[in-house]
Amino acid sequence: MVGAKRVLVTGGSGFIGSAIIKAFQDQRPAYDLVVLDVQPLKAKILQKSTVRYFHADITNEHEVSKAIGAARPDVIVHVAGYVPSGNSRYNQAERDYTFKVNVHGTENVLAAARQFGVQSLVYTSSCTAITDHSAHDYPNMTEALPVGSATLIYGESKGISERLVLAANSTHLKTCALRPSTVFGAGDTQLIPTIHQCIAKGETPFIVGTGLNLYDFSFVSNIADAHVLAVGNLLDGPGTAAGEAFFVSNGQPVPFRAFCLAVWAQFGHYPPFEVRLPWGLAYFAGFVAEIGTFVTGRPATLSRGSVKDACQTAYASIEKARTVLGYEPRVSIVHGLREACMDYKQRLEICNKKACLRTVHQ
Amino acid sequence: MPKARDVVYYLFHVQELRNIIQWKVWHNPVHERDESKETPSLKRCFHYLDMTSRSFSAVIKELNPELLVPVCLFYLILRGLDTIEDDMTIPLAEKEPLLRKFDQILEKDGWTFTGNGPNEKDRDLLVEFNVVVEEFKKVKPAYKDIIRDITKKMGDGMADYANNAEHNVNGVNTVKDYELYCHYVAGLVGEGLTRLFVEGKLANPALLERPELMESMGQFLQQVNIIRDIREDLDDGRRFWPKEIWSKHVDKFEDLFKPENEEKALNCSAEMVLTALRRADECLFYLAGLRDQSVFNFCAIPQAMAIATLELCFRNKTMFQRNIKITKGQACRLMLDSTQNLQVLCGVFKDYARRIHKQNNPRDPNFLEISIACGKIEQFIESIFPSQTPTERVVPADQQAMTPEQKAKAKKEAEEAKWDIIYMGLAVLLVLGTISGFMIFVAWMAGARFDIAFSSLTNKISATLPSPSAAGHNEL
Repeated sequence: MVGAKRVLVTGGSGFIGSAIIKAFQDQRPAYDLVVLDVQPLKAKILQKSTVRYFHADITNEHEVSKAIGAARPDVIVHVAGYVPSGNSRYNQAERDYTFKVNVHGTENVLAAARQFGVQSLVYTSSCTAITDHSAHDYPNMTEALPVGSATLIYGESKGISERLVLAANSTHLKTCALRPSTVFGAGDTQLIPTIHQCIAKGETPFIVGTGLNLYDFSFVSNIADAHVLAVGNLLDGPGTAAGEAFFVSNGQPVPFRAFCLAVWAQFGHYPPFEVRLPWGLAYFAGFVAEIGTFVTGRPATLSRGSVKDACQTAYASIEKARTVLGYEPRVSIVHGLREACMDYKQRLEICNKKACLRTVHQ
Repeated sequence: MPKARDVVYYLFHVQELRNIIQWKVWHNPVHERDESKETPSLKRCFHYLDMTSRSFSAVIKELNPELLVPVCLFYLILRGLDTIEDDMTIPLAEKEPLLRKFDQILEKDGWTFTGNGPNEKDRDLLVEFNVVVEEFKKVKPAYKDIIRDITKKMGDGMADYANNAEHNVNGVNTVKDYELYCHYVAGLVGEGLTRLFVEGKLANPALLERPELMESMGQFLQQVNIIRDIREDLDDGRRFWPKEIWSKHVDKFEDLFKPENEEKALNCSAEMVLTALRRADECLFYLAGLRDQSVFNFCAIPQAMAIATLELCFRNKTMFQRNIKITKGQACRLMLDSTQNLQVLCGVFKDYARRIHKQNNPRDPNFLEISIACGKIEQFIESIFPSQTPTERVVPADQQAMTPEQKAKAKKEAEEAKWDIIYMGLAVLLVLGTISGFMIFVAWMAGARFDIAFSSLTNKISATLPSPSAAGHNEL
């Protein structure tokens, strides 16, 4: 192949996808970048407009095939996916849509990759492919754990699509999967906003369980670095990542509670007192809240699913990513958290002026 | 005779009293020194060991016979060196050459030193130092070389500090200086001991290839001592907390002790604890490299005491007013737990890391950093002793890999279990309903007016809720 290597990023307009584009721009300026997404490119990326954009719906086989056929990338970074949020995470309401985007979308990308002779594919999987089995704890989990035990729709869909991607690995099409833990950073619409909302709801004093169960977080630029490294390994490097899955995170597990307290502190809020809810009581309260939701139709933060989530120990060892990919998280969660909260503060201020608070939370 | 205060304390802390009794009754030393074979000068050395060391004497005396005497002498030699360095009554011109040439003094038959001030607590050791020199001659040459080498390095380091006017007036400046100071007084001891263990084939030689591990062993102990002794050191006119850390919280070092700065002082001490805590996982890693039980005990006991002391100091304002110590009962528990194996000791570390975590305060600027350091200890322990067995983890996958018949069977069982629960729920409701009905019936028989209660209840509800029917009429 003559000329610059071409990288196509699906979901390149999204939170993680745009961070990956930025990482490629900074670290691999020689690469030719293409984005495939249903949403238009983020303004920041448009400014440096060497990035080409193809509008395509990942769930539409023809659109995906047409876009990839036109772009002719050497490597695809398949980031596009759907994450059910709030209570949809725990029930089956969004099952079909989640599977359509995450599983069928991946099938479409794989088919187009085979059809147009793409050399490699890096898939953004998720640690939930393992950990979305919230009755279990996963302390210091490694890649030796089998995929397929997830009971929540998101983790289940990511597990199935990850298997599809890794099964497609061949000498013509080298594939690998990265499994980030909970990602946060500037532009994050889920983690920081959700934690921030607890302040207004007056939920910050309540600790579910011990509050000491460790959890993994990933700053978005570190996850983007991991993608750049994975592409490098498959495309120009030794290819040792082919057919493999890797946990990637900040490698700094902390209790979920501690992370929340640190976020609230960034907004000048400190819980005035603390109430510890033992697991059993919280689970029961979650059940009652679910009945309340069922009766009133208004979703509550508390549910049995969210209680299980809050009490789960789930963090990974990133040794494999370190040794095979040369991955090292460059931004600590301390700095990352500060940056993410500053960004969210700014977004809130802008929105307060425009009175569009609701759209920020969505 | 125990003090009345102690009696009251242990009456209310029976668990700690139990620890003391357990330790006294059940602890069997791995090795015991055989006094009958000891020369008079060696007996004197052990006498001085008891006199000079509060915490180390017992563990040293239980060491493997191969290293018992070398480690005892190594300790006494460093204690001698320390006694010269500490004594402010010795003029610098006399002190410096003594410190720098202490390794040669070890070879001088009959060498003694009477130049210490009368108040120096270990002055007697130097007055009768000839017994140490006498016994040092009999030590295996390989061990002698190691001890001499460390003595030289430490003496030079101490002499440099004695010469450093800046250090003597203003104390330690940067964190790097602080760690360098700890290296001279403790890191070097870690190096010397490790070389002795490896030479005696009681530790994995790989420990010498990872020098940061033995460095952390010494750093951890020394830093914890420096944190705990802040008040005592201040009263003696010394300061070891680095300016780089305390200046972030207060303008003048003395401000740490003012009541109005309590919160700042606590945040400052938390940062000191954090600096030490970051070494804890490497200490555990080091301990994994020891092969002999007595050597393990020797190293593990001080480490366990250190993490417990660190927890005691964490966000504890008393530390700035007076010297604080872990209780005897706690110490006995720690000794019981650190004389078994690494896994039990890891449990101790995990426990104390979590206790520190619980007291962590989000208003502290280092809140998240402390959380990360505690999490790192726990993750490290999990990496060497996974809390879940592989089979436990694989179970869910087995369920996935079931054949269709098994799946059908499992589904049928789940279905049956579901109906069991439903039936049980119905039975409970039936019983509750019957009892409630019976009680209502009895109340009614006794003359209860449910009609009044019901109408007043509905009135109240309709009063609090906006009446939909009324709104409807208005619209019409």
